[in-house]
Amino acid sequence: MIKIDNLKKTYVTYRRGERFLDVLKSMFVRKKVLVEALKGINLIIEKGELIGLLGPNGAGKSTLIKILTGILYPSSGKVECLGFVPWRQRRAYVARIGAVFGQKSQLVFDIPPIDSFHMNRAIYGIPKADYDRTLKRMVEMLDAGDIIGKPTRGLSLGERMRCEFIMAMLHSPEVVFLDEPTIGLDVIAKESIRAFVKEMNAAGVTFILTTHDLDDVEHLAKRVVVINHGEIVFDGAMDTLKTHLGTKKIVRLSTHEPLPLLDRPGVEMVTRVSDYEADLELDLAKIELNQFIKKIGEKNTIRDLAINDPPIETVIKKLYS
Amino acid sequence: MKGSLRLYGAALKNTLASRLAYRIDFFLSVFIMLVFELIIPFATFLIYRSGGAFPGWSFGEVLLVQAVFLLAKGVVNPFFAGIVWNTLIRVREGTYDLLLIKPRSVLFMTLLTSIDVEDLGKLLGGVGVLVLALSGLPAAAPENWLAFVLLFACSVCVFMSFSFFMAGSCFKWVGNSRVYEIFDCLSAFAMYPMSIFSKGLRVLITAVIPLAIMAFIPASVLLGKSVEYLAFALGSGAVFLAAGAFFWTRMLRSYTSAGG
Repeated sequence: MIKIDNLKKTYVTYRRGERFLDVLKSMFVRKKVLVEALKGINLIIEKGELIGLLGPNGAGKSTLIKILTGILYPSSGKVECLGFVPWRQRRAYVARIGAVFGQKSQLVFDIPPIDSFHMNRAIYGIPKADYDRTLKRMVEMLDAGDIIGKPTRGLSLGERMRCEFIMAMLHSPEVVFLDEPTIGLDVIAKESIRAFVKEMNAAGVTFILTTHDLDDVEHLAKRVVVINHGEIVFDGAMDTLKTHLGTKKIVRLSTHEPLPLLDRPGVEMVTRVSDYEADLELDLAKIELNQFIKKIGEKNTIRDLAINDPPIETVIKKLYS
Repeated sequence: MKGSLRLYGAALKNTLASRLAYRIDFFLSVFIMLVFELIIPFATFLIYRSGGAFPGWSFGEVLLVQAVFLLAKGVVNPFFAGIVWNTLIRVREGTYDLLLIKPRSVLFMTLLTSIDVEDLGKLLGGVGVLVLALSGLPAAAPENWLAFVLLFACSVCVFMSFSFFMAGSCFKWVGNSRVYEIFDCLSAFAMYPMSIFSKGLRVLITAVIPLAIMAFIPASVLLGKSVEYLAFALGSGAVFLAAGAFFWTRMLRSYTSAGG
């Protein structure tokens, strides 16, 4: 469905120093800097996948999404989406994709979302019967019946995002690009959006999700692609990503007596909550769990013990570094 | 074509509805636009009343030149000229992305999102000044009216082409907020009879930059006056429009988006 071959994007930007003199100098001379946003991306995405695209700020995620949506031209490389080259056959291609940008609204601020939906119907040339059917379905799925008639400026961020999703789905796209769709949303709004994406994905729509919210990825994506410095540093299943830290576990330990010194091989203090409670990272390759519990139990009475996998953030940070 | 018209209708409806969300501001803006357009004709009136004049031109004739200019501007501004600010803002903020993901011509999408209904005040001002100018002049022959309609269409084309050039420059010259003022200064030449300028300047603003076709040539035809470089100006009007649209389209390739 989407095939990316050795995709590169280089652009020019300008830099200057932070001193007042540098600002004055920049009126006449600016230092030109060549930025390699993408350094040869290779990726294949199959129909019906839901991919999480992760990466720190400036990693190249948004540049990749913009090339895939036909917004930007690449410097070199090949891309084929739904049989189209996005930047060459833009009009035919974008009729079959959708996009939601968390920080760029497609709704008109001063009028109700329903008016923007009508406008989209005219833009995509959606037949009335199809439009009515899809709109009804989307409104039901996102529980948006009460909000689509209110002026957009009066909607909460969560309500607005639900309408952004309706807007993006009205023409029944086969692939949808989501760029930080849950940014700034509360837990309930996030859950509503996630449930919608899951349901649409189950119905066969392919999603490419760019986000900094790792919960989104954990809840939605079966496959994760991590980009850093314009290169793919990981491409695989979520579970595989979690195993990247090998045999590590996070242990929340509480004791009745003050905790002893824990500086032994395979044990690392993450957070010392109090003299009686701490979060520890155990490397099970160096110290077995029962051996650790036994050692602690020799001098202390264990009040509580919780063993968890390391948070996905830790894995991502390790990959970024 | 039918689909495009329906889309334009939907965009016009949304723009009007959006603007009417703040009705007082809307009506006040329309009124201010109308009044603002009357400043130059009023200044011309004061010049003639105090005994001054443009040699060989009566007040009514000069007013007609200005009326044609304001009318053409009044047609272009609400429906086309907004492309300049729209491009300027969208390029700077990176929101052109939202137009590029729509399955329509980007130029058409830009025009749709550039409709500026409060500029209808300029159209009203143009119509008003034209009626006033014509009321003080002898009636033109039907063939002159026919030629005027054709030339007026050329005038609108020239105005549009300037919009395309200005908007296109904003893709490279990001944040070029003074671009419209440059145009205002340049187009001010078009509000006066060409005969007041030197021959060199007349050639420049007729054959090279077709400012004369924005008002002077259509008004002169309606007044039954002989016009220099008429055919050349007509041709350059069409060429200028095509060049403006081509320039805008080429410059679109320079769009780099912004932010994440």
